[in-house]
Amino acid sequence: MRFIARYAKDKGRVFEIITVYDTKVEKEQVHKENPVITTLSHEHLAALWFERKMQDDFGIIIQNAFDKRPLVHQEQFPKNLHPMCKDFYAKELEQSEFQPYDYEVINGDGVFQVSVGPIHAGIIEPGHFHFSQAGEKMLHLEVRHFYKYRAVEKMLEGKTLQEAKPIIERISGNESIAYQICYRDILLQASQQELPQALQKRHAFLLELERIIHHLTDLGFIPNDAGFGAALALGSKLAEDARRKMKELTGHRFGFGAIDLQNKFVDTASLHEWLDAMLESITYFEDWITDIPSLWDRLDTTGHLPLKKAVKYDSVGVVARASGLAIDRRLNSFYLKHGFELESELSGDVAARFKVRIAEVKNSLKMMHEFLEADESSLKVGSVADGEYMSFAESSIGELFMAIDIKEGVIERFFARDASFMNWQVLHVMMRRDIIADFPLINKSCDLSYAGNDL
Amino acid sequence: MMKFWNKRIKLGVLTENLELEDEIKSIQKEIKDKVKKKFAGSLAIRMVDSGSCNACEAECNALSNPYYDLERLGIYFVASPRHADVMLLSGLMTFNMQPHVLEAYEQIPEPKWVITLGDCPVMAAPFEQTFAINAPADKHLKITHHIAGCPPSPLEIMQGLLEFLRKI
Ligand code: SF4
Repeated sequence: MRFIARYAKDKGRVFEIITVYDTKVEKEQVHKENPVITTLSHEHLAALWFERKMQDDFGIIIQNAFDKRPLVHQEQFPKNLHPMCKDFYAKELEQSEFQPYDYEVINGDGVFQVSVGPIHAGIIEPGHFHFSQAGEKMLHLEVRHFYKYRAVEKMLEGKTLQEAKPIIERISGNESIAYQICYRDILLQASQQELPQALQKRHAFLLELERIIHHLTDLGFIPNDAGFGAALALGSKLAEDARRKMKELTGHRFGFGAIDLQNKFVDTASLHEWLDAMLESITYFEDWITDIPSLWDRLDTTGHLPLKKAVKYDSVGVVARASGLAIDRRLNSFYLKHGFELESELSGDVAARFKVRIAEVKNSLKMMHEFLEADESSLKVGSVADGEYMSFAESSIGELFMAIDIKEGVIERFFARDASFMNWQVLHVMMRRDIIADFPLINKSCDLSYAGNDL
Repeated sequence: MMKFWNKRIKLGVLTENLELEDEIKSIQKEIKDKVKKKFAGSLAIRMVDSGSCNACEAECNALSNPYYDLERLGIYFVASPRHADVMLLSGLMTFNMQPHVLEAYEQIPEPKWVITLGDCPVMAAPFEQTFAINAPADKHLKITHHIAGCPPSPLEIMQGLLEFLRKI
């Protein structure tokens, strides 16, 4: 059974704990006077962050857990505040006294600690990495995040679905289309409507376009982190070409606002041509880069994630597929009918994640041909019924899960679990055989989101 | 490798900014003089993300793709605040990032300037105030220039930087 998410809801006198697996959803209620639940982290290691988050958000006590440190609330966050409780209204907080965070470290003769971040050397998002080092060798890494915590979950409470949309599409800029598709599915469930096939195809086209933009960027940056800059020049050129196509089709370079229920006219002939040209470029890229042995020397065997660990941490997305784990939300009849093939590798290293991305770009281009259709159907949304809704999408990083409860027409609880939230928790496993100079390369090969993780 | 050079020659130079070219030409001298006088030949920017959705960063990264190639104007993104003249600040200034942003600012040697990037730091993006957000950024720092957009496109960022240079 694959573990997907665990989160809580404030239901007045009780907290409701929802645990989502691939095959079932479990609900449990605990009284607020004694809000104690038992940890799942012994069976599912990735449950740990969910539970630590619950502890910060609601003050729920996690029994039997081996790690009870705060997660979202950092050194200067006021103690004993649980902002996701319904009786928390504050819109402003004072920084409180600095309380050091107790990092997970390995000690020993000659072992030293390296702290990196939250602000890093490049143009990247903030997050903290804490290494225990024996010389160059990484003995352990603790990933510490939530610097970008904007409290999106709380922000959305009390809003209508419509009001929430512009915020949801800006949770993680690189995955905006995927978030919008999750939102769309919840909107459709709540208004009990079916999506016309033509619209579904348009949306699927845009999701694949988002994926190739993100993958192409990574295909440039990964070799660049191994010192091969020429790949970045070509990769970023192709990514820019695709981003301009996104702008042409949706009016926005990241597709913000693109997933609506109105099909637009597209010039299919020129798009087919564009897709063919793109395929030619990526085939050239693959052919060229496969021929550079000094690069593969860095990518092969680096950042190894064994299949067993990928399963143990319930990993998702490119990371899981590169370790031989066949997980992809597109594994359904709609996508299969349009040419979807699950791309995977077995070696679980940086090279595997790189190769999976190349293969996925090619497969996306193939599907995009199939998704193209000149059709101008549209859908009017009916009224939205109260209820508890869930949806999934496969973003460029991996499986995205979203849950929205609607009560009296407005959002009562919003929850989203980015693929990154799962995969950040397994990142440290990939460091075991490598030296610290490999870290940026390994990190980039996963290219996880900080914004989507922190919410 | 031969394959690469063949392709490279076929592709030629991609750098473009047709819209900007005239403007650039007309103020290139001006920038060069200014950059030379004020920044010893190069303007060094330290990008700091205080809680963005990452699209603003993606557009800054795009500035170094072959189409825009920002560095040819003598403008560089640098790794340390200590090498920087300007802090380019994106994001919502989260509660958790605020102390770190201010620390990074402290580390920039005088004279220094702050440019805000995107709608987030001025609270003009769709995000609303929560306990976890301490924007707008001008509550904490003196802002010299703002580049609007959600996100501003690479071209808009370039234009914004040119405006900034004119301003100071
Ligand atoms: S301004 Fe817009 S694009 Fe930039 S970080 Fe904020 S939400 Fe994202």
